[in-house]
Amino acid sequence: MKLSERYNRVNLIATIVIMLITGAIYYQAISLILTNQKDKSLEVEEQEVFDYVKLNRHLPQVFESKDQQITFVSAEPNSVKREFFNTTYYREKDEPESGRGLVSSVTVADRYYKILIVESKVETEDLIQIIFAITIGVILLLLLVLVITNRLILGRLWQPFYSILSELKLFNVTDSREMLSPKTSIDEFNELQAEVTAMAERVKKDYKDLKTFTENASHELLTPIAVINSKLDTLIQTENFSEHQSKLLNDLYSAVSRLSRLNQSLLLLVKIENKLLNDRQHLDLNELIEELLYQLEDIFSDKEITVTSILGEKEVEAGAYLIDILLNNLIINAVRHNAAGGEIIINLTTENLTIKNTGENIALNAENIFTRFHKSSHSEGSGLGLTISKQICESLGYQLIYSYEAPYHIFTVNF
Amino acid sequence: MKLLIIEDEEGLRESIEEYFTEAGNICETAASYTAALAKVELYRYDCILLDITLPGGNGIDILKVLKNNNYTDGVLIISAKNSLDDRLQGLDLGADDYLVKPFHLSELKARVSAIIRRKMFNGSNVLNFNELSIDLMAKTVAVNGIPVKFTRKEFALLIYFISNKGKVISKNAIAEHLWGDGIDLANNFDFIYSHIKNIRKKIMEAGGKDYIYAAYGMGYKFADQ
Repeated sequence: MKLSERYNRVNLIATIVIMLITGAIYYQAISLILTNQKDKSLEVEEQEVFDYVKLNRHLPQVFESKDQQITFVSAEPNSVKREFFNTTYYREKDEPESGRGLVSSVTVADRYYKILIVESKVETEDLIQIIFAITIGVILLLLLVLVITNRLILGRLWQPFYSILSELKLFNVTDSREMLSPKTSIDEFNELQAEVTAMAERVKKDYKDLKTFTENASHELLTPIAVINSKLDTLIQTENFSEHQSKLLNDLYSAVSRLSRLNQSLLLLVKIENKLLNDRQHLDLNELIEELLYQLEDIFSDKEITVTSILGEKEVEAGAYLIDILLNNLIINAVRHNAAGGEIIINLTTENLTIKNTGENIALNAENIFTRFHKSSHSEGSGLGLTISKQICESLGYQLIYSYEAPYHIFTVNF
Repeated sequence: MKLLIIEDEEGLRESIEEYFTEAGNICETAASYTAALAKVELYRYDCILLDITLPGGNGIDILKVLKNNNYTDGVLIISAKNSLDDRLQGLDLGADDYLVKPFHLSELKARVSAIIRRKMFNGSNVLNFNELSIDLMAKTVAVNGIPVKFTRKEFALLIYFISNKGKVISKNAIAEHLWGDGIDLANNFDFIYSHIKNIRKKIMEAGGKDYIYAAYGMGYKFADQ
């Protein structure tokens, strides 16, 4: 529920409840006042009867009046208690109307009479209705105005908030884009804006520091690795190694080789994220894949993997270096996680590139296969290959998706 | 040939110097920007191995000095900086090649040999070794004048061997040269052996000698012994 909606709802319910209570009190007050007035007019009438009786010593003649009926009935002395009451007023032929009556008594020439004066309240009620109608009308108008202004004003008031929100949604830690700050005179929003911007800056700075650290650490590692590598190359020039020594040297070579590849992968990740590899050129994917398959031919046959490729024509605008790494990583991945005697199917169309491979007969967790250093327990890889592939795809605006359709693990690049 | 090795890391500099120093080669070294600049301004080299990050300056500036003076020394940048910008800037400024650390000395030698070949033979692209004659442009091999058909990998391997003749090349270096990043997939390097067997066989069938020797299970050596 939106804040303004919530606010409007509470506001409206409160307003309506208060209006209803006010209305009831208002109605009561008005009818009380008007009844009072009616009572006074009945008293005046009673007084007139008394005056008449005093002066003329007989009862006044009863005549039919439009809004008033007076009747005199003889009664037992002192049997009548003077009181006002609500009653029904019968006008000739007409519907019965509500009326207000007064019972009183008068003694004329030793005879005791009960006086009943009834007046129609129809006009009073009309008045109340008109007043009430006007009041209701005003209330409704007020509510309407309230709703509209609330909506307009709240909408405008919260505008900066929504701008900040959409900026936050667009926020990407690897992005160098500055956050836009909406102009507002509301202190709360200005404060929010300032804090959000400061936080974003902090996050970006921390992230940058981390990247710089990774980059520096990797750089610093390169030189010693290069020295080890070159010393090994120099060492094997000295003659006469035993079989045991050769084995040790071979192990050293492959360890150094893995170390340097891991290091280069880390550097590469930093560079892709920093968008340092942004050259673009025309590349024929079809040709690149063919070349790669030729290059890896020995490895496929070494692992007894059958490779089937259906390659359509597809040209892309991208950095040759990145595309090379992407294709290499995906195909090597398909080999690495394959079983001996397995299968790789590569399909290239103008929309996408799919690489299917057989392997373990269980789907991988699509969520974390792209995270750094995530790898299956027996993988010899660095755990960065798919992370790098994903990053490359993102930097080129492609989508890299994993799916599993037994018995194939499928990686799809959507261009 | 005369080489200048500009590299501040002592261990690496010494290894390179040792690997490249052989009959007919003169290697000079410089460990800092100023030392390198002094040498570059005074002497000409067939090839300069240039590190980008140097104490006292940037290797790119040495490249600029060469370019401004129209010196035609071959330049191979060896750098820990694998940034594409550096690579492009280096190549723009007239560097002939770019090799990222860490590398195998045999790979470095092959690249330097290629640069020097391009400079020395002035467009002629035939590499001769005893009875072998390799046309680098047409990618053909002839033994005693008889054309022999080589696959692309065999051809690349042969050139790699000749560039590093007399040196033991590790299987690892050969594999990385031919298969690039995919090589850590291999269970073993047996398939290198099958390529080498083919090269031997083809050369010998055409009447050539066997120049490839296995070195203690670690690698191979191409030598005319």
